[in-house]
Amino acid sequence: MKDIMTIIIRLTLSCMLAATVMGVAFLVTNKAKKHNQHVNEQKVRYSLLGYSEQKPIPESMTLHEIYRYIVTSADGQSIGYLLPAKEGFIFVTIDLEGKMLENKPVQIDEAMVREKEERDKVIRKVVGSGKDIAFADQTIVVTDNGKRVAYLLDGKFTGFKTFIGVMLALDPQFSILGLEILEHEEDPGLGAEIKQKYFKNQFKGKSFETLKKLEVVKEPMPDGYVRALEGNAAEADAAEILKQYVDHDIYALTGATISSRSVNNGVKGIVKKFAYRLNILDSVLVEQKIAVAF
Amino acid sequence: MANDKTSLQLITRGILSENPIFKLALSMCPAVGISTTVMNGFMLGIAVLFVQVFSSVTISLFKNKIHPRIRIPTYTLTIATWVTVIDLALAAYLPEAYAKMGIFVKLIVAFAIITMRLEMFACKESAKDSFWDGLGMGLGFLVGMMVIGLVRELLGSGAILGYDVLGFKPLLFFILPSAGFFVVGLMMAFFNWVELFYKRSRRG
Repeated sequence: MKDIMTIIIRLTLSCMLAATVMGVAFLVTNKAKKHNQHVNEQKVRYSLLGYSEQKPIPESMTLHEIYRYIVTSADGQSIGYLLPAKEGFIFVTIDLEGKMLENKPVQIDEAMVREKEERDKVIRKVVGSGKDIAFADQTIVVTDNGKRVAYLLDGKFTGFKTFIGVMLALDPQFSILGLEILEHEEDPGLGAEIKQKYFKNQFKGKSFETLKKLEVVKEPMPDGYVRALEGNAAEADAAEILKQYVDHDIYALTGATISSRSVNNGVKGIVKKFAYRLNILDSVLVEQKIAVAF
Repeated sequence: MANDKTSLQLITRGILSENPIFKLALSMCPAVGISTTVMNGFMLGIAVLFVQVFSSVTISLFKNKIHPRIRIPTYTLTIATWVTVIDLALAAYLPEAYAKMGIFVKLIVAFAIITMRLEMFACKESAKDSFWDGLGMGLGFLVGMMVIGLVRELLGSGAILGYDVLGFKPLLFFILPSAGFFVVGLMMAFFNWVELFYKRSRRG
């Protein structure tokens, strides 16, 4: 009996010691990890817009971040947007019918707005007591000399196994400029192929109208199309081939139809919802004559 | 049992006469699985080296506090802790390398070589000797991984450290996991032959 007690105590102590060491390591490395993630996201964003280290983003272009919140109060839900105004930030709440409820200035600086906890705290203060907020998603509006040139959307949807996280770039008409898979846990060699160029680039160039009724087809992919998507064809030929297939449905991955369908439906859903919400937001902003940065 | 070897002897023992891969034939899965290139072997070797040294020293420091009936769980806990630390550090500071070998780093917890060194050496010897022993074993593993990686990369993809040296790919077979066993086998034979040769030449 005494033996058991000492064993229990020593094991508990060693577990606690181990936990402390791991906790300290986590605290030390977490900042660097977050920074890496941020840099990586930034890189993905630029590459979706067609820029890289060799071809840096022009000075005239700016990225404006919009954060969407769901505000729950005693008399129902409404949507709140944290928007960059001409100076500083504003928080606009819109009810489910598309009418503006409130427009309040938010005291928050550029660096703080990126930290989720900080941002949530500030917004909770702004909406006042008795209301609960939940962060929904974030969108980036890219402007060039004040004119909108693209939207960058983050999104998450269910795949075959767990969630698939993507980043989408849209032009102002909601045509897809690019798709990047950020995270997924699909099967290697099957569903994981969604990360491959020959799959994800199929979405490139699909217009909003095409996208609305985009389906997945189980057909062998034409060789020329694969080469063009992978970037292995000559540039002029590739453009020609890609144009030929621009309204074609998505070719499913062999052995991963469910993953292919999930991505298709997920992308469709993200774009459709975004277009709907943005139209409402824009009409509200015009109606109320609210000046925003984008 | 007091240790009668000097620190240098402890290190060379890990690299040569008791090399984890070629002599003790421990932790063969990673040796076969990840040693497709010199760089991969080097990265995993470094991770193992750190885990081995830290675990050996930790266990050696706490050897009197560890109840003999739960020593294996305690070893596993210690190893798991240091693996987590290395895992977090790699993910934070070397994200590109981590993306390639992240899954293997977590596997270090189950590496036979580390547990075996803790059981055989660290739980009896002083922290200083355990440090040198861990360093020697870690280096032995590192060297082994790099040698296997060198052979496989050269024969499989005709390159060393990613630089094309041969200009052609002699035997694609060597990139595949099964070829790892061939290389390990050949290396074992080679090491044994060298040792035999050395012993004979000394005798006569």
